Amino acid sequence: MKNPPSLDQLISALKVLPGVGPKSAQRMAYHLLQRDKAGADKLARALDRALTQLTHCERCNTFSETTLCNVCADEKRRQDTLMVVEMPADLANLEQSQCYDGLYFVLMGRVSPMEGIGPNDIALAKLITRALDGTVEEVIIATNFTAEGEATAHVISELLKDKGVKLTRIARGLPVGGELEYVDLGTLAQAVYERRSLSR
Amino acid sequence: MSQPGKIDRQPGYVLMSQPWRETSLLIEVLTRDHGRLTLIARSARRPQSTLRGVLMPFAPLELAWFGKTELRTLHAADWQGGVPQLSGLTLLSGFYLNELVVKLTARDDPHPALYFAYDRAVRALGAGEELSTVLRRFELALLASLGYTPTFDRDVDGRAIDAEQGYACPSDGLPELLNGRTVVAESEIVPGAVLLALAADDFSEPLTRRCARRLTRLWLNKQLFDCRLATRELLQTINGLSD
Repeated sequence: MKNPPSLDQLISALKVLPGVGPKSAQRMAYHLLQRDKAGADKLARALDRALTQLTHCERCNTFSETTLCNVCADEKRRQDTLMVVEMPADLANLEQSQCYDGLYFVLMGRVSPMEGIGPNDIALAKLITRALDGTVEEVIIATNFTAEGEATAHVISELLKDKGVKLTRIARGLPVGGELEYVDLGTLAQAVYERRSLSR
Repeated sequence: MSQPGKIDRQPGYVLMSQPWRETSLLIEVLTRDHGRLTLIARSARRPQSTLRGVLMPFAPLELAWFGKTELRTLHAADWQGGVPQLSGLTLLSGFYLNELVVKLTARDDPHPALYFAYDRAVRALGAGEELSTVLRRFELALLASLGYTPTFDRDVDGRAIDAEQGYACPSDGLPELLNGRTVVAESEIVPGAVLLALAADDFSEPLTRRCARRLTRLWLNKQLFDCRLATRELLQTINGLSD
């Protein structure tokens, strides 16, 4: 039996979600249409609203409904430090940690040579413009400590070196409260390689 | 009861990984006796997973897995250590090694010699050895594992290489004495002294390293069928941007 075209369109539209194949997409479509029409209506409106109203903050590149996001618009924050993160979720976690009162830049991705994601596929050009706008004195690179995050950090440091801004990278090592006996060996070894001096 | 296709304590490296379902990882690994294969690392992305700090590229591991299909399941990954995490330019060079391995080797095609060359290259990168020597040695070992072992000590007519002469090295075949002959297309002109240095695995002269780079690029491009290398382009972009 052939489905009506609008049902087929809905099923194939749901397949764009990561991890959703034809079977799951069909199940979702039937659920939305049969069991939860109000939910389907809400989903359609929310998606439509997000698509038309959400843009990227013109300074930090995170998702925002206004030209400046609420972090960038907050004049009480330090204007001379810029923390570079990969994704908005990283920004949210850093905000929760309450350790930083400067501004952010969200790359919306990372350089990943093995997946063919190069420097031109993330917002590096926008970052360079922002970092060199005259107000920023320190750029803190807070990309992930994965191989891709480290590659991204290297690309950023190459682009910003000798440009008159101080470049720093967040530290890695044992987790707070970590016990040497139980920590994973990769982390422990790297903590020894990157040990810091205590003598003055 | 033993599981089907169970392999224990196999030395290997993670070449690349990607998220799989909610909490798992799909990893591409290069192993000593089983070649390159894909493994599912179940629950490796959970916050408490101890595999997170272990399943990193460029870290020597001992892997155990089971399964008979093309997609096998990781059972254990033991960290072996000895290589500090790569960073900066050495990290990008490491990605270059990985991209070559992924693009030029077949899955489930064991090549212990290639594994040893890879292992040696990663350890050399970690130890901060001269970058281009490490890369050229690995490229030559990779070409040898593909069945293309370059000859550096004899020319196409079977004569010993003369250090004083110039030679044309084609993309396939032996070096050809120049001696006023016209050069065939797709070849690199290399002094005989450089060929002899390469035959002796001696990369100490900058000229040797430069010629070796042109030669391996010519040969690798032929093996890659001119497929683009993302890592090579990345390095070129960085060099172009910082100028």
